[in-house]
Amino acid sequence: MRLTASSLAVLTLLLGAVPAGAVAPVTTPPPPLELPAPTAFVAVDRPGDGGSAILLTWTDPTPLPEGTVLEVRRSEPPADEFAALQTVKPGTQRYVDASAEDGKTYRYELRVRGAETPDSLGIAGAVGPALVSDPVSPHDNWFRPERTNSLIASILFIALILSSIAAARSGKPIFIRRIAGLNAIDEAIGRATELGKKVLYVPGIQSMDEIQTIASMAILGHVARATARYGTDLDVPNRDPLTFVSARETVHSAYLAEGRPDLHREDMVHYVTYDQFAYTAAVSAQMTRERPAAIFLVGYFFAESLILAETGQSTGAIQIAGQADPTQLPFFVATCDYTLIGEELYAASAYLSREPVLLGSMRGQDIAKGLLLVIGIIGIISVSLGATWFMDLVKTQ
Amino acid sequence: MQALLLRLLALDRRWIFLLVLISVMTPIIVPIGLPVTTTSSTRSAFDFVEALQPGDVVWLSFDYGPSSAPENDPMAQAFLRQCFIKELRVIVTALYPLGGLGLANQSVAKVTAEFPEAKYGVDYINLGYKDGAAAVMRTLGQDIASAFPTDVNGRPVSEFPIMQGLRTIRQVDLVFTASTGLIGEWWITQVYSQFGTPVIIGPTAVSAPKYYAFLNSGQLVGMLGGMKGAAEYENLLAAKHETLGKYYRGTKDFTATKGMDGQTVLHGVILALIVLGNLAFFLTRGKKAGAA
Amino acid sequence: MNTDFGRVTLVVLFAIVPIVGIALGMRAPALRSKIPLLVAFFAGLIPIFSMYIPKRFLSGDSGMSPRLDQWLIIVAGFALLLGLTNVISNSYRKISRRDKGWPYAIVLLAGLFIMGGFGIYGAISRQGTGFLPNGSPTPFRWVETTVFQPLQATIFALLAFFMASAAFRAFRARNTEATILLVAGAIVMTGRVPLLEFLAAPFPALHPAAAAASQFMGKATEWIMDTPNGAAQSGIIIGAALGAASMGIRVILGIERGYLGLGKGE
Repeated sequence: MRLTASSLAVLTLLLGAVPAGAVAPVTTPPPPLELPAPTAFVAVDRPGDGGSAILLTWTDPTPLPEGTVLEVRRSEPPADEFAALQTVKPGTQRYVDASAEDGKTYRYELRVRGAETPDSLGIAGAVGPALVSDPVSPHDNWFRPERTNSLIASILFIALILSSIAAARSGKPIFIRRIAGLNAIDEAIGRATELGKKVLYVPGIQSMDEIQTIASMAILGHVARATARYGTDLDVPNRDPLTFVSARETVHSAYLAEGRPDLHREDMVHYVTYDQFAYTAAVSAQMTRERPAAIFLVGYFFAESLILAETGQSTGAIQIAGQADPTQLPFFVATCDYTLIGEELYAASAYLSREPVLLGSMRGQDIAKGLLLVIGIIGIISVSLGATWFMDLVKTQ
Repeated sequence: MQALLLRLLALDRRWIFLLVLISVMTPIIVPIGLPVTTTSSTRSAFDFVEALQPGDVVWLSFDYGPSSAPENDPMAQAFLRQCFIKELRVIVTALYPLGGLGLANQSVAKVTAEFPEAKYGVDYINLGYKDGAAAVMRTLGQDIASAFPTDVNGRPVSEFPIMQGLRTIRQVDLVFTASTGLIGEWWITQVYSQFGTPVIIGPTAVSAPKYYAFLNSGQLVGMLGGMKGAAEYENLLAAKHETLGKYYRGTKDFTATKGMDGQTVLHGVILALIVLGNLAFFLTRGKKAGAA
Repeated sequence: MNTDFGRVTLVVLFAIVPIVGIALGMRAPALRSKIPLLVAFFAGLIPIFSMYIPKRFLSGDSGMSPRLDQWLIIVAGFALLLGLTNVISNSYRKISRRDKGWPYAIVLLAGLFIMGGFGIYGAISRQGTGFLPNGSPTPFRWVETTVFQPLQATIFALLAFFMASAAFRAFRARNTEATILLVAGAIVMTGRVPLLEFLAAPFPALHPAAAAASQFMGKATEWIMDTPNGAAQSGIIIGAALGAASMGIRVILGIERGYLGLGKGE
């Protein structure tokens, strides 16, 4: 190569740039950022579920650099290659893969992934060593362990009821306190008989899947027997079709049982409409036109309760109402002569029939309530003392 | 005097009805503009939503019918406005059978017209109505797409970006239910208790007393009790987000705040009637005792 | 046990058993009351078991428990047909006999057939009951929004009038409990609305006092709603829940039979 003048000049410049006696430092490339690995990585079928879920738990490594996340990857047959599933923030230490399919075997891989923005070494998204789980397959389970306390409480409650019923069957007398509203039923029907007017029975607006409606049907049976006995007219307008069918059967059976099928008419129990306020308008109009002497509002009511009760009050009828849900109770208390509050509605069948078996179940229920009171008091004391273990014991999901 | 008092005690209810009509109608014709104070239950609800971050997912359920629309519509619309201004992602459903969906469609159309930047399928979606409220809520805990396979227009939900990665209601940050009847309670017992998703309820005023028990036990993060609760929420919203003030101040539209004027006058009239009735009761009782 | 097992079990318990029961009941009347009790027993047990057993055949999306919920909705639909038939037959009887109020029975039937007709037309023509493609409402929707919804709102609005008349009549200090009710009601009615500010509005000198008093009443109202009301509501809810659970056990075990129209010893 011939050195030209220009290349000589460049060479001179370069040589001149190096200070005399200086030696260029020897630099080695920086070591790759070593990210730690999580520990105690376990993948199991999520307990107490209906399948299709794998629970992953682990312990985060400490310390973790800023911006790092934990990356969960999954492999499934037939490919058996790991693919990204989810990233999880540090501190979570658990992940539920709810997209797994029952019967398939999966393996999971967990690793720390560096921040996506380049670090001081210019490295972005570095990954640490991966932990791989044992093969795991999701399936549905036989029991929800988080509801153990609820199951124990339910079994205890049923046992209490059954043992009280057994005690009642043995002939042991059972006391039940006076319930004014239930005592007044015969009085109300008697009044209607004297005045020659009808009894109007409104069984609530909910369907037969509501326990209050079932309780209402039990009371309707008693009322129907009384009206059959005294020869009083009975009218039962219905909003729900299933309740209509059940009420029809209840009234018919009651009249047959009293030996007065001749007094029974098909239109005693009739269907009105499914719309809440159209039903309210129809029943209110019926009350105003026909002026029944006794009105029963027993069952589950919503906003129409006050409209019905106030209209009934304006006709001068004796009114007996009953609802377990507290929402509408204030309106009934303000407008009706007698109100069955809360569980008094459920006590009606036992109270009216005085069957030992039913009374026994009431006693069992009251014992359970007493136990709940004791648990409540223990809970208040323990929380006041700062001990939360008792609350955790009774908390259910 | 005795006769007057006795007549007052036996006052024909139609006079009372007339008084009620006048007391409610007058503030509608001549607005008063009374102040609205905030209760802690509404404040808790508002603060919870304010603490959510852009992109968080909220579930708004229209669980009421036309009969309680004057109470529930303002709270649902106020909540929706708050969601859009905070850039939260909103999933709308209706679980009330008679008229719930129509009211949902009306409110969503009204509020989304105010926020043209909110995109359907990205920022919000309307999944429509589904029957069997409690059963639907249980299904939401397993798989949202099983309960709502399509949106209100019949398109598969998997096509929408807002639903990507959203499998169950556990992943939702908040449920807001404007409700009447039992459906609100089912959100607490079926969703919060089973899946832990926070719930705010906007019940009618008649149902509100029942929910204090749930509020005190921590099963609700907040409550808007009836039209008063809705008015409080509107107030808080207008105070916090100035740009939303135009929907609540100086507007011709019905707002819960305006409705409170009529309610205030009505409460005053009822209280006056109660006082008069008690006065007449005591005076006639005293006179009867004296005569005896 | 897979989903098919659940499906078969449901069909056996709720279709075959009742049919066999009806057939047997015709021959042996004593059995007529037993089969409904058996059906109630299984209908009650399945949801209880599904609370604790997450197995797919029982609690899964197409498990026994959710299927039972769906079947209930279907049964209710058929029962609605029964109700419909009852309404039509009662109205027809009223019209034919010229009973009191028979013109209203004509109005009822007209409304029923017109709306029903619009709904069926919407289904057959695939227009639905919402909006047409051009944005205008279907006949069903038009009647619903212009007639049905305002009527619903009107009946609900009656509550305000009835509440006033009920309050006037019921809030009398007849005894201690009634006085407590009266005082609490008055505090809540005053605290929930800015009533004191409204009353003091014409008197500027009273504004600060009115605002302070209103705030106090508001706090008193919150205390009443939170503490005595919350406690009472909780007590009633817990008691009613226990009562409902007890009643539920009685129904499931066949101890409670009043809802079937069966009396003592039946």
